[in-house]
Amino acid sequence: MMVGKGIEDIDVAMPRDAYDTGKDTPTFNAYLTVIVRGPEGRVVKIHRQRSHSPTSNFIALILPLTFFKNGGSAPTLKNISGNTSGYGPALNSNAQCITYPASSTNRNTNLVMIQVGSGQQSNPYSAYTLAAPIANGSGSGQLAYGQPSVSSSIVVSGSEAYFTISQTFNNSSGGTVTINEVGIIMYLQTQFSSGSGYSTVGSLLVWYDVLSSSISVPNGGSVTIYYTFTVNP
Amino acid sequence: MVTPDLVSEEDIAKLTVPNDLPDEPSFKAYIEAKVYDKKGHLIQYHRQPMRSLTEYFLAIMSIPLIGTYQLGASNQATDILVNVLGLPSEQGSSANISWDWSIQLGSGTQSFSPTLTGLAAPIANGTGAGQLSYGTLSVSYAGTTIFVSVTVTNFTSSTVTVTEIGMMGTVYIQYSGSSVSSYNYLLSYDTLSSPVSIPGYGMAVFQITLSFTG
Repeated sequence: MMVGKGIEDIDVAMPRDAYDTGKDTPTFNAYLTVIVRGPEGRVVKIHRQRSHSPTSNFIALILPLTFFKNGGSAPTLKNISGNTSGYGPALNSNAQCITYPASSTNRNTNLVMIQVGSGQQSNPYSAYTLAAPIANGSGSGQLAYGQPSVSSSIVVSGSEAYFTISQTFNNSSGGTVTINEVGIIMYLQTQFSSGSGYSTVGSLLVWYDVLSSSISVPNGGSVTIYYTFTVNP
Repeated sequence: MVTPDLVSEEDIAKLTVPNDLPDEPSFKAYIEAKVYDKKGHLIQYHRQPMRSLTEYFLAIMSIPLIGTYQLGASNQATDILVNVLGLPSEQGSSANISWDWSIQLGSGTQSFSPTLTGLAAPIANGTGAGQLSYGTLSVSYAGTTIFVSVTVTNFTSSTVTVTEIGMMGTVYIQYSGSSVSSYNYLLSYDTLSSPVSIPGYGMAVFQITLSFTG
Protein backbone atom coordinates (compact mmCIF):
# COMPACT_ATOMS: atom_id res chain seq x y z
CA MET A 1 0.00 0.00 0.00
CA MET A 2 1.23 3.45 -0.89
CA VAL A 3 1.38 5.84 1.95
CA GLY A 4 0.36 9.36 1.02
CA LYS A 5 2.32 12.54 1.40
CA GLY A 6 3.02 14.12 4.72
CA ILE A 7 0.19 15.63 6.61
CA GLU A 8 1.38 19.11 5.94
CA ASP A 9 0.34 18.74 2.30
CA ILE A 10 -3.17 17.59 2.96
CA ASP A 11 -6.16 19.50 4.09
CA VAL A 12 -7.39 17.49 7.04
CA ALA A 13 -9.26 18.84 10.00
CA MET A 14 -7.14 19.36 13.09
CA PRO A 15 -9.01 18.56 16.29
CA ARG A 16 -8.96 21.32 18.84
CA ASP A 17 -7.07 19.28 21.39
CA ALA A 18 -4.32 18.60 18.89
CA TYR A 19 -2.71 21.90 19.70
CA ASP A 20 -0.15 22.04 22.44
CA THR A 21 -1.45 24.84 24.61
CA GLY A 22 1.07 24.19 27.33
CA LYS A 23 -1.80 23.94 29.76
CA ASP A 24 -2.46 20.25 29.55
CA THR A 25 -2.79 18.37 32.75
CA PRO A 26 0.30 16.20 32.85
CA THR A 27 -0.25 12.52 33.33
CA PHE A 28 2.96 12.16 35.30
CA ASN A 29 4.75 14.44 37.71
CA ALA A 30 7.70 14.27 40.02
CA TYR A 31 8.10 16.53 43.03
CA LEU A 32 10.80 17.37 45.50
CA THR A 33 9.85 18.18 49.06
CA VAL A 34 12.58 19.33 51.43
CA ILE A 35 11.94 19.67 55.16
CA VAL A 36 14.61 21.37 57.25
CA ARG A 37 14.65 21.01 61.03
CA GLY A 38 16.58 23.07 63.52
CA PRO A 39 18.72 21.70 66.37
CA GLU A 40 15.62 21.23 68.53
CA GLY A 41 13.80 19.26 65.87
CA ARG A 42 11.36 21.97 64.90
CA VAL A 43 10.60 22.47 61.27
CA VAL A 44 12.27 25.66 60.10
CA LYS A 45 11.70 25.44 56.35
CA ILE A 46 9.63 23.55 53.84
CA HIS A 47 10.65 23.71 50.22
CA ARG A 48 8.64 22.18 47.40
CA GLN A 49 9.34 22.19 43.71
CA ARG A 50 8.70 20.18 40.62
CA SER A 51 11.36 17.69 39.71
CA HIS A 52 12.23 17.79 36.05
CA SER A 53 15.22 15.80 35.19
CA PRO A 54 15.81 12.19 34.33
CA THR A 55 19.36 11.62 33.18
CA SER A 56 20.43 9.72 30.08
CA ASN A 57 21.13 6.74 32.36
CA PHE A 58 17.45 6.63 33.29
CA ILE A 59 16.33 6.87 29.67
CA ALA A 60 18.66 4.01 28.66
CA LEU A 61 17.27 1.80 31.42
CA ILE A 62 13.56 2.54 30.86
CA LEU A 63 13.62 1.69 27.13
CA PRO A 64 11.70 -1.49 26.26
CA LEU A 65 13.13 -4.60 24.60
CA THR A 66 11.62 -3.71 21.23
CA PHE A 67 13.92 -0.72 21.00
CA PHE A 68 16.98 -2.95 21.33
CA LYS A 69 15.48 -5.76 19.23
CA ASN A 70 15.08 -3.33 16.34
CA GLY A 71 18.74 -2.42 16.53
CA GLY A 72 18.40 0.73 18.57
CA SER A 73 21.40 2.04 20.42
CA ALA A 74 20.61 3.32 23.89
CA PRO A 75 22.55 6.09 25.61
CA THR A 76 25.78 4.73 27.06
CA LEU A 77 25.56 4.17 30.79
CA LYS A 78 28.04 6.30 32.70
CA ASN A 79 28.60 5.69 36.39
CA ILE A 80 29.49 8.31 38.97
CA SER A 81 33.18 7.57 38.48
CA GLY A 82 32.87 8.34 34.78
CA ASN A 83 33.23 4.74 33.61
CA THR A 84 30.97 3.77 30.72
CA SER A 85 29.07 0.58 29.90
CA GLY A 86 26.88 -0.45 27.00
CA TYR A 87 23.41 -1.70 27.76
CA GLY A 88 21.38 -3.97 25.51
CA PRO A 89 18.90 -6.28 27.20
CA ALA A 90 17.33 -9.14 25.25
CA LEU A 91 15.66 -12.49 25.72
CA ASN A 92 18.45 -14.88 24.90
CA SER A 93 21.18 -16.74 26.71
CA ASN A 94 23.83 -14.12 26.07
CA ALA A 95 21.72 -11.15 27.05
CA GLN A 96 22.64 -9.06 30.02
CA CYS A 97 19.64 -7.61 31.77
CA ILE A 98 19.15 -5.98 35.16
CA THR A 99 19.72 -8.50 37.95
CA TYR A 100 16.68 -9.88 39.76
CA PRO A 101 16.99 -10.99 43.42
CA ALA A 102 18.22 -14.54 43.73
CA SER A 103 19.42 -16.29 46.86
CA SER A 104 22.32 -17.97 45.13
CA THR A 105 23.92 -14.93 43.55
CA ASN A 106 23.51 -11.79 45.65
CA ARG A 107 24.13 -9.46 42.72
CA ASN A 108 22.32 -6.39 43.88
CA THR A 109 20.69 -3.75 41.78
CA ASN A 110 19.38 -1.29 44.31
CA LEU A 111 18.84 2.28 45.42
CA VAL A 112 22.04 3.68 46.88
CA MET A 113 20.94 7.08 48.12
CA ILE A 114 19.54 10.46 47.47
CA GLN A 115 22.70 12.47 47.11
CA VAL A 116 22.94 16.17 47.86
CA GLY A 117 25.45 18.68 46.58
CA SER A 118 26.52 22.27 46.83
CA GLY A 119 27.06 22.91 43.12
CA GLN A 120 24.87 22.89 40.07
CA GLN A 121 25.03 22.04 36.38
CA SER A 122 22.90 23.16 33.50
CA ASN A 123 22.41 19.95 31.51
CA PRO A 124 20.82 17.32 33.75
CA TYR A 125 20.35 14.86 30.86
CA SER A 126 24.08 14.35 30.45
CA ALA A 127 24.92 14.59 34.15
CA TYR A 128 26.48 11.44 35.59
CA THR A 129 27.46 12.84 38.97
CA LEU A 130 26.52 15.82 41.05
CA ALA A 131 28.53 18.95 40.34
CA ALA A 132 29.83 19.15 43.92
CA PRO A 133 28.62 16.25 46.07
CA ILE A 134 28.43 16.88 49.81
CA ALA A 135 30.39 14.14 51.52
CA ASN A 136 28.95 11.84 54.15
CA GLY A 137 30.46 12.77 57.50
CA SER A 138 30.64 15.25 60.31
CA GLY A 139 33.49 17.36 59.04
CA SER A 140 33.22 20.91 57.84
CA GLY A 141 30.77 21.18 54.96
CA GLN A 142 29.64 17.59 55.37
CA LEU A 143 26.31 15.95 56.21
CA ALA A 144 25.69 12.58 57.84
CA TYR A 145 23.64 10.56 55.36
CA GLY A 146 20.82 8.45 56.82
CA GLN A 147 19.45 5.37 55.10
CA PRO A 148 17.17 6.00 52.11
CA SER A 149 13.61 4.79 52.34
CA VAL A 150 11.07 3.80 49.69
CA SER A 151 7.29 3.48 49.96
CA SER A 152 6.27 -0.07 50.73
CA SER A 153 3.84 0.07 47.84
CA ILE A 154 2.29 2.43 45.36
CA VAL A 155 -0.48 4.43 46.98
CA VAL A 156 -3.65 4.66 44.88
CA SER A 157 -6.12 7.44 45.63
CA GLY A 158 -8.86 7.92 43.05
CA SER A 159 -7.16 8.17 39.69
CA GLU A 160 -3.87 9.19 41.29
CA ALA A 161 -1.06 6.81 42.19
CA TYR A 162 2.32 7.64 43.69
CA PHE A 163 5.35 6.42 45.57
CA THR A 164 8.07 8.26 47.45
CA ILE A 165 11.79 7.97 48.03
CA SER A 166 13.14 9.80 51.06
CA GLN A 167 16.30 10.26 53.05
CA THR A 168 17.36 12.31 56.07
CA PHE A 169 20.70 14.08 56.46
CA ASN A 170 22.05 15.37 59.79
CA ASN A 171 24.37 18.29 60.13
CA SER A 172 27.04 17.88 62.81
CA SER A 173 29.62 19.82 60.90
CA GLY A 174 29.84 22.81 63.20
CA GLY A 175 28.44 25.20 60.60
CA THR A 176 25.59 25.71 58.17
CA VAL A 177 25.66 23.45 55.11
CA THR A 178 23.97 24.67 51.92
CA ILE A 179 22.35 22.32 49.39
CA ASN A 180 21.87 23.40 45.78
CA GLU A 181 21.47 20.10 43.91
CA VAL A 182 19.90 16.71 44.51
CA GLY A 183 20.10 13.40 42.68
CA ILE A 184 19.06 9.76 42.93
CA ILE A 185 21.86 7.19 42.75
CA MET A 186 21.11 3.58 41.80
CA TYR A 187 23.60 0.68 41.80
CA LEU A 188 23.34 -1.56 38.75
CA GLN A 189 24.56 -5.02 37.96
CA THR A 190 23.55 -6.99 34.89
CA GLN A 191 23.15 -10.74 34.75
CA PHE A 192 23.76 -13.10 31.84
CA SER A 193 20.73 -15.22 31.11
CA SER A 194 22.99 -18.24 30.90
CA GLY A 195 23.60 -17.77 34.59
CA SER A 196 27.35 -17.97 34.35
CA GLY A 197 28.30 -14.36 34.30
CA TYR A 198 27.42 -10.89 35.34
CA SER A 199 28.70 -7.39 34.99
CA THR A 200 28.93 -4.54 37.47
CA VAL A 201 27.99 -1.20 35.99
CA GLY A 202 28.28 0.58 39.33
CA SER A 203 26.49 3.55 40.84
CA LEU A 204 24.47 5.56 38.36
CA LEU A 205 22.96 9.00 38.67
CA VAL A 206 19.46 8.41 37.29
CA TRP A 207 17.62 11.58 38.33
CA TYR A 208 19.00 15.05 38.95
CA ASP A 209 17.59 18.40 40.03
CA VAL A 210 18.96 21.80 40.79
CA LEU A 211 16.95 23.34 43.63
CA SER A 212 15.01 26.45 42.70
CA SER A 213 16.42 28.08 45.83
CA SER A 214 19.28 27.02 48.09
CA ILE A 215 18.54 25.05 51.24
CA SER A 216 20.56 25.90 54.35
CA VAL A 217 20.82 23.23 57.00
CA PRO A 218 21.82 24.72 60.38
CA ASN A 219 24.46 23.09 62.53
CA GLY A 220 22.78 20.50 64.73
CA GLY A 221 19.79 20.38 62.43
CA SER A 222 18.67 17.98 59.76
CA VAL A 223 17.06 17.91 56.37
CA THR A 224 14.74 15.27 54.92
CA ILE A 225 14.31 15.07 51.16
CA TYR A 226 11.30 13.41 49.55
CA TYR A 227 11.04 12.53 45.88
CA THR A 228 7.42 11.85 44.97
CA PHE A 229 6.65 10.19 41.63
CA THR A 230 3.00 10.36 40.75
CA VAL A 231 0.68 9.57 37.87
CA ASN A 232 -2.57 11.42 37.19
CA PRO A 233 -2.04 14.00 39.95
CA MET B 1 10.20 31.04 58.61
CA VAL B 2 9.29 28.90 61.62
CA THR B 3 6.34 26.60 61.35
CA PRO B 4 4.72 24.38 63.94
CA ASP B 5 5.68 20.77 64.00
CA LEU B 6 3.99 18.82 61.31
CA VAL B 7 1.30 16.25 61.73
CA SER B 8 2.95 13.91 59.30
CA GLU B 9 5.90 14.33 57.01
CA GLU B 10 4.28 11.86 54.67
CA ASP B 11 1.32 14.20 54.35
CA ILE B 12 3.69 16.92 53.22
CA ALA B 13 5.24 14.69 50.62
CA LYS B 14 1.79 14.12 49.22
CA LEU B 15 1.25 17.82 48.59
CA THR B 16 1.89 17.53 44.93
CA VAL B 17 0.98 20.93 43.57
CA PRO B 18 3.32 23.61 44.78
CA ASN B 19 1.68 27.01 44.83
CA ASP B 20 4.90 28.88 44.48
CA LEU B 21 5.92 27.55 41.09
CA PRO B 22 4.63 28.07 37.58
CA ASP B 23 2.50 25.25 36.29
CA GLU B 24 5.18 23.65 34.23
CA PRO B 25 4.61 19.92 33.89
CA SER B 26 7.47 17.49 34.32
CA PHE B 27 6.09 15.12 31.77
CA LYS B 28 3.97 15.37 28.67
CA ALA B 29 2.44 12.56 26.70
CA TYR B 30 0.49 12.53 23.46
CA ILE B 31 -1.46 10.09 21.37
CA GLU B 32 -1.43 10.56 17.62
CA ALA B 33 -3.21 8.69 14.86
CA LYS B 34 -2.80 9.06 11.12
CA VAL B 35 -5.38 7.26 9.00
CA TYR B 36 -4.84 6.38 5.34
CA ASP B 37 -7.40 5.11 2.86
CA LYS B 38 -6.83 2.14 0.58
CA LYS B 39 -5.00 4.36 -1.91
CA GLY B 40 -2.59 5.54 0.73
CA HIS B 41 -4.02 9.01 1.07
CA LEU B 42 -4.02 10.54 4.52
CA ILE B 43 -7.67 11.08 5.44
CA GLN B 44 -7.57 11.79 9.17
CA TYR B 45 -5.07 13.10 11.67
CA HIS B 46 -5.86 12.89 15.36
CA ARG B 47 -3.77 14.11 18.26
CA GLN B 48 -4.66 14.39 21.91
CA PRO B 49 -2.94 14.53 25.27
CA MET B 50 -2.44 11.19 26.93
CA ARG B 51 -3.71 11.45 30.45
CA SER B 52 -3.99 8.14 32.12
CA LEU B 53 -0.99 6.14 33.24
CA THR B 54 -1.60 3.21 35.55
CA GLU B 55 0.17 2.16 38.72
CA TYR B 56 1.86 -0.57 36.67
CA PHE B 57 3.66 2.06 34.59
CA LEU B 58 4.84 3.67 37.81
CA ALA B 59 6.00 0.29 39.13
CA ILE B 60 8.07 -0.45 36.02
CA MET B 61 9.44 3.08 36.13
CA SER B 62 10.61 2.41 39.67
CA ILE B 63 13.18 -0.12 38.44
CA PRO B 64 15.58 2.43 36.87
CA LEU B 65 15.15 4.56 40.00
CA ILE B 66 15.39 2.16 42.93
CA GLY B 67 16.47 -1.10 41.31
CA THR B 68 15.07 -4.54 42.00
CA TYR B 69 16.60 -5.35 45.40
CA GLN B 70 14.89 -4.22 48.57
CA LEU B 71 16.91 -2.05 50.89
CA GLY B 72 18.03 -3.75 54.06
CA ALA B 73 16.85 -7.19 53.03
CA SER B 74 18.97 -9.93 51.60
CA ASN B 75 18.04 -10.92 48.06
CA GLN B 76 14.44 -9.75 48.29
CA ALA B 77 12.69 -7.84 45.53
CA THR B 78 11.37 -4.35 46.25
CA ASP B 79 7.93 -4.16 47.79
CA ILE B 80 6.69 -2.31 44.71
CA LEU B 81 7.66 -5.18 42.41
CA VAL B 82 6.11 -7.76 44.70
CA ASN B 83 3.00 -5.87 45.83
CA VAL B 84 2.09 -4.03 42.63
CA LEU B 85 3.43 -6.19 39.82
CA GLY B 86 3.00 -9.47 41.67
CA LEU B 87 6.54 -10.59 40.84
CA PRO B 88 8.29 -13.22 42.96
CA SER B 89 10.20 -11.87 45.94
CA GLU B 90 13.23 -14.04 45.35
CA GLN B 91 14.59 -16.57 42.90
CA GLY B 92 16.70 -19.55 43.79
CA SER B 93 19.08 -19.31 40.89
CA SER B 94 20.39 -16.26 39.09
CA ALA B 95 17.80 -14.25 37.24
CA ASN B 96 17.39 -11.00 35.38
CA ILE B 97 14.52 -8.71 34.46
CA SER B 98 13.51 -6.85 31.34
CA TRP B 99 10.30 -5.50 29.83
CA ASP B 100 8.63 -4.66 26.59
CA TRP B 101 5.77 -2.44 25.51
CA SER B 102 3.07 -2.67 22.87
CA ILE B 103 0.03 -0.68 21.76
CA GLN B 104 -3.45 -2.15 22.00
CA LEU B 105 -6.50 -0.58 20.33
CA GLY B 106 -10.09 -1.08 21.32
CA SER B 107 -13.67 -0.29 20.35
CA GLY B 108 -15.15 0.24 23.81
CA THR B 109 -14.91 2.80 26.58
CA GLN B 110 -14.60 2.60 30.35
CA SER B 111 -13.79 4.80 33.29
CA PHE B 112 -10.12 5.11 34.14
CA SER B 113 -8.58 3.66 37.23
CA PRO B 114 -4.84 3.34 37.92
CA THR B 115 -5.49 -0.34 38.61
CA LEU B 116 -7.15 -1.08 35.26
CA THR B 117 -5.82 -4.23 33.67
CA GLY B 118 -7.18 -4.13 30.14
CA LEU B 119 -9.16 -2.31 27.49
CA ALA B 120 -12.96 -2.47 27.53
CA ALA B 121 -13.20 -4.09 24.11
CA PRO B 122 -9.80 -4.88 22.59
CA ILE B 123 -9.64 -5.10 18.81
CA ALA B 124 -8.13 -8.46 18.01
CA ASN B 125 -5.13 -8.94 15.76
CA GLY B 126 -6.34 -10.52 12.56
CA THR B 127 -7.93 -10.12 9.17
CA GLY B 128 -11.52 -10.96 10.07
CA ALA B 129 -14.49 -8.68 10.53
CA GLY B 130 -13.88 -6.05 13.19
CA GLN B 131 -10.22 -6.98 13.46
CA LEU B 132 -7.02 -5.13 12.63
CA SER B 133 -3.69 -6.56 11.63
CA TYR B 134 -1.08 -5.15 14.03
CA GLY B 135 2.29 -4.49 12.44
CA THR B 136 5.68 -4.41 14.09
CA LEU B 137 6.06 -2.03 16.99
CA SER B 138 8.57 0.77 16.61
CA VAL B 139 10.34 2.44 19.53
CA SER B 140 12.78 5.32 19.34
CA TYR B 141 13.93 8.15 21.56
CA ALA B 142 15.36 11.64 21.31
CA GLY B 143 16.77 13.04 24.52
CA THR B 144 14.17 12.45 27.22
CA THR B 145 11.34 11.78 24.77
CA ILE B 146 10.34 8.23 23.80
CA PHE B 147 8.19 7.43 20.75
CA VAL B 148 6.19 4.21 20.50
CA SER B 149 4.22 3.52 17.34
CA VAL B 150 2.41 0.73 15.56
CA THR B 151 0.84 0.41 12.13
CA VAL B 152 -2.48 -1.38 11.86
CA THR B 153 -4.13 -2.51 8.64
CA ASN B 154 -7.78 -3.21 8.01
CA PHE B 155 -7.92 -6.13 5.59
CA THR B 156 -11.71 -6.18 5.46
CA SER B 157 -14.11 -4.12 3.38
CA SER B 158 -15.81 -2.69 6.46
CA THR B 159 -14.70 0.25 8.56
CA VAL B 160 -13.15 -0.50 11.95
CA THR B 161 -13.62 2.22 14.55
CA VAL B 162 -11.12 2.80 17.35
CA THR B 163 -12.35 4.51 20.52
CA GLU B 164 -9.77 3.50 23.13
CA ILE B 165 -6.02 2.95 23.25
CA GLY B 166 -3.71 1.43 25.79
CA MET B 167 -0.02 0.84 26.15
CA MET B 168 0.57 -2.72 27.28
CA GLY B 169 3.64 -3.93 29.11
CA THR B 170 5.18 -7.35 29.53
CA VAL B 171 7.78 -7.97 32.21
CA TYR B 172 10.13 -10.87 31.67
CA ILE B 173 12.11 -12.66 34.35
CA GLN B 174 14.77 -14.73 32.68
CA TYR B 175 16.32 -17.52 34.72
CA SER B 176 19.60 -19.31 34.56
CA GLY B 177 19.34 -21.58 31.55
CA SER B 178 17.28 -18.96 29.72
CA SER B 179 13.80 -20.08 30.69
CA VAL B 180 11.48 -17.09 30.95
CA SER B 181 8.40 -16.12 32.95
CA SER B 182 6.28 -13.29 31.61
CA TYR B 183 3.78 -10.98 33.30
CA ASN B 184 1.38 -8.68 31.46
CA TYR B 185 0.09 -5.25 32.49
CA LEU B 186 -1.86 -2.28 31.21
CA LEU B 187 0.49 0.72 31.44
CA SER B 188 -1.83 3.45 30.14
CA TYR B 189 -5.45 3.80 29.15
CA ASP B 190 -7.14 6.57 27.22
CA THR B 191 -10.41 6.93 25.40
CA LEU B 192 -10.02 8.91 22.21
CA SER B 193 -11.60 12.36 22.26
CA SER B 194 -13.20 11.46 18.93
CA PRO B 195 -13.35 8.01 17.32
CA VAL B 196 -10.77 7.12 14.69
CA SER B 197 -12.31 5.22 11.78
CA ILE B 198 -10.11 3.03 9.61
CA PRO B 199 -11.85 2.39 6.29
CA GLY B 200 -11.89 -0.97 4.55
CA TYR B 201 -8.44 -1.84 3.21
CA GLY B 202 -7.08 1.25 4.85
CA MET B 203 -4.41 1.56 7.49
CA ALA B 204 -3.46 3.75 10.43
CA VAL B 205 -0.39 4.62 12.40
CA PHE B 206 -0.86 5.14 16.14
CA GLN B 207 1.92 6.78 18.08
CA ILE B 208 2.36 7.41 21.79
CA THR B 209 4.90 10.06 22.73
CA LEU B 210 6.25 10.09 26.27
CA SER B 211 8.27 13.16 27.10
CA PHE B 212 10.09 13.21 30.44
CA THR B 213 10.97 16.83 30.18
CA GLY B 214 10.06 19.89 32.17
